Amino acid sequence: MDSMVRNPDVKQRDAAQAVVVAVSSDAIFTPEVEQVHGATEPLRKGDAFSFMKAIQVVNERLLTLNSDETLLFDVILLSNDSEEKHSRIIASAKHYGLDIGRFCFCNKEDSIESLQSNNVKLFLSTDTNDVCKALQKGVPAALLYHQTDPHHQTEDQLKVVFSGDVIGSSEEMLHGLREQGFTETQLQGFKTAKGSVKEFAILMGEMRRRFGLEGSPLCTGLMTAWSSRDVCASALKTLRGWGLLVDEAFCLAGAPRSPILNLVRPHIICLDGLYHMEGFTAMS
Amino acid sequence: MSEIKPTDPAATNAGEEKDWAAAKAFFDSLKTRKPRPPKPQYAVTIAVSSRTLFNMVAERKIYEEEGVEKYVTFQQEHENEPLMPGVAFPLVKALMTVNSRLRQLYPDSEELFDIVLMTNNHAQVGVRLINSINHYDLTIERFCMTGGKSPIGYLKAYMTNLYLSKDGEKVTEAIEEGIAAATMFASGDVENQLSDTQLKVAFDGDAVLFSDESEIIVKQHGLDTFFEHEKEFENKPLAQGPLKCFLEALGKLQRKFYAKNERMTCPIRTYLVTARSAASSGARVLKTLRSWGLEIDEALFLAGAPKGPLLQKIRPHIFFDDQMFHIEGAKELGTIAAHVPYGIGQKYHKGELIEQPVKDKK
Repeated sequence: MDSMVRNPDVKQRDAAQAVVVAVSSDAIFTPEVEQVHGATEPLRKGDAFSFMKAIQVVNERLLTLNSDETLLFDVILLSNDSEEKHSRIIASAKHYGLDIGRFCFCNKEDSIESLQSNNVKLFLSTDTNDVCKALQKGVPAALLYHQTDPHHQTEDQLKVVFSGDVIGSSEEMLHGLREQGFTETQLQGFKTAKGSVKEFAILMGEMRRRFGLEGSPLCTGLMTAWSSRDVCASALKTLRGWGLLVDEAFCLAGAPRSPILNLVRPHIICLDGLYHMEGFTAMS
Repeated sequence: MSEIKPTDPAATNAGEEKDWAAAKAFFDSLKTRKPRPPKPQYAVTIAVSSRTLFNMVAERKIYEEEGVEKYVTFQQEHENEPLMPGVAFPLVKALMTVNSRLRQLYPDSEELFDIVLMTNNHAQVGVRLINSINHYDLTIERFCMTGGKSPIGYLKAYMTNLYLSKDGEKVTEAIEEGIAAATMFASGDVENQLSDTQLKVAFDGDAVLFSDESEIIVKQHGLDTFFEHEKEFENKPLAQGPLKCFLEALGKLQRKFYAKNERMTCPIRTYLVTARSAASSGARVLKTLRSWGLEIDEALFLAGAPKGPLLQKIRPHIFFDDQMFHIEGAKELGTIAAHVPYGIGQKYHKGELIEQPVKDKK
């Protein structure tokens, strides 16, 4: 059971054609340490803020190219907060001028169902557990990359990075990983994630093609964390086959990923293999 | 294990260990048994640009004359045609030879050369680059394709020990960031004449291994003052130059061969090729190297004679110099030369002060 509130300040998108993205309210607005009853001032900006601003830029550019464009980002704010906070969330969104189409208020247990029933193309959270759970239930999900230096995060270009270790690995390679200590749960997790990544990649590919090579408000990238260059090349071709021609590619082959990610500064990382290494222990 | 790079405590955390473990697992699981790349903090990392690794002159022309979209399309259309070897290709092959020898002697060591492709090319061009790397069976497993953005930041992120590019601006930026770097120049077909069992690296002294402090004296006060100064300060070590750390890294790898009694067959040989003269200004250079604990295999003092003929005999896989005059002289006789844009030498050409245009800080 959820309560869906339309945002009167934002023009409603055609949800069937749009790229519907659900973002956790805890990501858009920093959760308050202490709940002050009756507080009315706007909530503080959260990790997803620059992402929200960046998709606004993409939408604006798409509409400039074609005022009838329907392939736009359509954001649903997903909140598990108590009822007394609902109006404050809506007011904060208005205060910052955020392009949020709908507010979805529901219990934590009902979140997945809400995502499924609203044809969400991507669910974003800063919590790897939430992302894991969504993926397991077949909801495409991605991690909002935690910026170590939020002031340097760009707001005028949306940066989406796809993780390629599993996209680019053959069945034989994945089988070989089993013998090297990867567990069955991890490998099953890879398969599920791969399936859900495809649909979002296709949408990103289509959106990216609206713009030229240079000056695009949407920048896409590929990163492989532990595999060889051939896996990265294979991932490049697979994504290309899905219609996504990524702009940047990084093959780390075991090199530390934080220094690289801190330079790439993606807003979101579409995980298939990356997070399974870190989030896994938390899951089990 | 001796450190080639300073250990950053923040760098060795659990997440990175997991990445490393996953990479090890992946490479160990491969049927092809190709060697996995070394741990960056222990390796000597050499970053090469796409245009130094491969000959992309024709493609570059398309980029400059017809724009980026036509260029990327062209590369995609010719994706399955391997590119021809570029100016850094012989060096890369020599680095691979040294790695094979190191792996034989020290199978579990991470102290190896790590070759990284660092390019601001678009990722779609990357497919052709990877196909070409596959064609020549080069051990390059790490790359950054930044899709138009400057790759300089990534040099630090990959703990680069040496950066080679054809773009002088990027090289200058790298040196300003404290990374050893040089601009490579084509020299014609030398590959057949170079050794395929020993890596040979030649360095100029002033403003390459050492700072340009002495060169400033020559330019501003003349040779006589320079000789007097060098004699007076013979026992005072010169300050270090941009490539000192790279020589140091080579030395650490050389000592691994010496430790296994392989000094005579060491596959790395270093040369100092300097315009200084042994009698009047050479001592300070040798004493400086000694004070740094560094060895150089051959020190050649030319006393002002042209470097070209000597380099032609040495046939290094790369020769570093700060002065374009020497680079051109080397190139003319077929040596693979790399310009280090550092120090006072950049303001002069053939002894004359060049008018510097006001630098546009982007």
